[in-house]
Amino acid sequence: MVHCERASKPLLQCLRGSYSRGVAGVQLQTRAFQSTANVREAETEAPSQPFHKAPDPALVTSPRLERRLLRQGTTPIGSRRRRAALQTTDSIPFEQLPYQCFQEARKVLLADREEKLKEIETMQQRIARQQALPVEEAGGAKAQKSRVTAMQLHLERLKVLADINDPSVKRRFEDNEGDMSKPIYRFLADRKWREYRRKILVQRITQMNVVPDVLPHCDPVVETKLYFGKRQIQAGEFVEAKQSTVAPKLDVQMFEGGEKLVTIAVVDSDVPNVEQDSFDYKTHFLAVNVPISATSTKVDLSQLLEDSQVVLPWLPPVAQKGSPYHRLSVFIMEQKDSQPLDFAAVKQKETSRDNTLLRTLQTRYHLKAIGAHLFRTQWDATTLEVMKELGFNGADVELRRKRVDPLPYKRRNPSSFR
Amino acid sequence: MLQPRLLAPFRALERSLTSIRSTHSLSQPQSVLRTLSASTFPKPQTPSLPRTLLPFSQVRYASHASQGTANRHSRDPAGKRLGAKRSGGEYVVPGCIIFRQRGSLWFPGENCGMGRDHTIYATQAGYVRYYLDPEKHSKRRFIGVVFDKEEQLPHPRNAPNRRKLNMTTVPMQERVEPQSDLTASVDADGVRVEDVEAVKAVFGPQLRPGYMYREANWEIGRSAERAGIFSMGYDRRDRWTAWRKRQQRAERAAQMKSLKGKKKSGKK
Repeated sequence: MVHCERASKPLLQCLRGSYSRGVAGVQLQTRAFQSTANVREAETEAPSQPFHKAPDPALVTSPRLERRLLRQGTTPIGSRRRRAALQTTDSIPFEQLPYQCFQEARKVLLADREEKLKEIETMQQRIARQQALPVEEAGGAKAQKSRVTAMQLHLERLKVLADINDPSVKRRFEDNEGDMSKPIYRFLADRKWREYRRKILVQRITQMNVVPDVLPHCDPVVETKLYFGKRQIQAGEFVEAKQSTVAPKLDVQMFEGGEKLVTIAVVDSDVPNVEQDSFDYKTHFLAVNVPISATSTKVDLSQLLEDSQVVLPWLPPVAQKGSPYHRLSVFIMEQKDSQPLDFAAVKQKETSRDNTLLRTLQTRYHLKAIGAHLFRTQWDATTLEVMKELGFNGADVELRRKRVDPLPYKRRNPSSFR
Repeated sequence: MLQPRLLAPFRALERSLTSIRSTHSLSQPQSVLRTLSASTFPKPQTPSLPRTLLPFSQVRYASHASQGTANRHSRDPAGKRLGAKRSGGEYVVPGCIIFRQRGSLWFPGENCGMGRDHTIYATQAGYVRYYLDPEKHSKRRFIGVVFDKEEQLPHPRNAPNRRKLNMTTVPMQERVEPQSDLTASVDADGVRVEDVEAVKAVFGPQLRPGYMYREANWEIGRSAERAGIFSMGYDRRDRWTAWRKRQQRAERAAQMKSLKGKKKSGKK
């Protein structure tokens, strides 16, 4: 028996006993609400195949079957412990668990929700009234605008508060079935991201000095994932040169409603410059007017439109032999008021990849960094091949440390030694 | 305690005094006063002057010395030569020690590192700066190294780091993997076995120790690679292969055991 199954067994035995006695009738009425139960019903009706041949993602517990499902492309739903529990439970809707305390608590929560819905309604009416007011009566356009904005913020807050205590919402979110067009799921996703993944990202971009080197400041508010082919790259990971010959795919998850137009830039901040004994910058990719929203998150850098989005197409990053690792930082920058930039003008202006600072672009086009990601490259076995494909000049040389002459020996304050 | 070289002049003084004493003893009976005084007072056994010198030559016992002297410098350990080795504005090269300390009185700032014993050393060639950086830490004192003589620390918070490459380009070199070799050669004197350096090693079969005309050991070792035969790498998580191999080994062992028994029984 799998560990989790063993752990959840006593509880399940208890539950099963009470269900069979208490809520058989109720179960029939409320079957329509249950998603997993329906799956199970179908399975029990027609057990044409044994479970190990066609494992159910909601019920699978053995690691081998889980792996097989993952290979097929379906992720198992929920935790393994929960799936083990579902294997042996009867299909009872969560709302009707036969615990008195639970039901009493649910009543309180439902009452709270009703209250919140009422508040939402009144707030919406107030906003409408405020907006309908003539500017003179409202006390100036600025005051009116600020009042409306504050009220809208409060409304968003209320929308989240109305649903935040709903166990089925929580469950749907944990099963990755949350609808990101709804504020509550966006709120939960944002909170989850900020708990761990964002902290890691911020740590990586500050520890590897991306933030003062490439941009003076960045406060990530969108979650960014980076894929080369199928492989997800964690922030700061080393990527082989061969892998990064094709443009990566991005998954930009916004946690606000609405649509935004963003500029995406990939900058290398460690191009060695031997003549000046310093490091240069190189723009490996630049695209403007990329629409993102909470529901459409996928951005394939190679699929962006050549004639209206891509300013500088993808240039595969390579690191010369012996050079320190290159940091390739990906920045998602919000355009001002989500207005599209003039593509032709940008294309005409930004022709050079070398030494265009992202800071300059930021001030030139009024951009604001809302998301960041980072990967690194260094010399590896595949680099030479990629360099030859690219026609990279400098493939036949390697970098060596310059010898610093030691200081001449000087006897310090000899009189004290006597 | 008096040291020997201090004692020496005293000994010389004593010798001169004894000569004076002997002259006194000759003239002694002539003086009445002297005899009277000698009869009334007990005669001094030793001359008076050396007695005054005696404390210098006497031994001081442990009980006396253990009370200690007024200024006990003997207890102080040797100085550890801590402190600043390079002052602000001095030129340093990588690895140059700037400050020696017990504990972290100073912290490494830009282009500096901290050693195992909290020694601050330079990681870049430049000029030393001692500074405070309240934005980084409110209380710490930092030591940094700057590239320009006039540059000041700390830098503004969001300014890009000033860095130097410190590298030169050299033509890329193919790495030669050295493989030394043992060869034998037959002379009029006999067989001579030589150790051949990797650079001079010849491919293919040649006479080797043990009168064998064969390839070098490392070449034999790589023959599978040349033939294009590759074995699967060992994966410790692959329990299926491990189990199969273990099973095969057990079977073989059992087989050998049974054969052994048969042989024995046959002999008997």
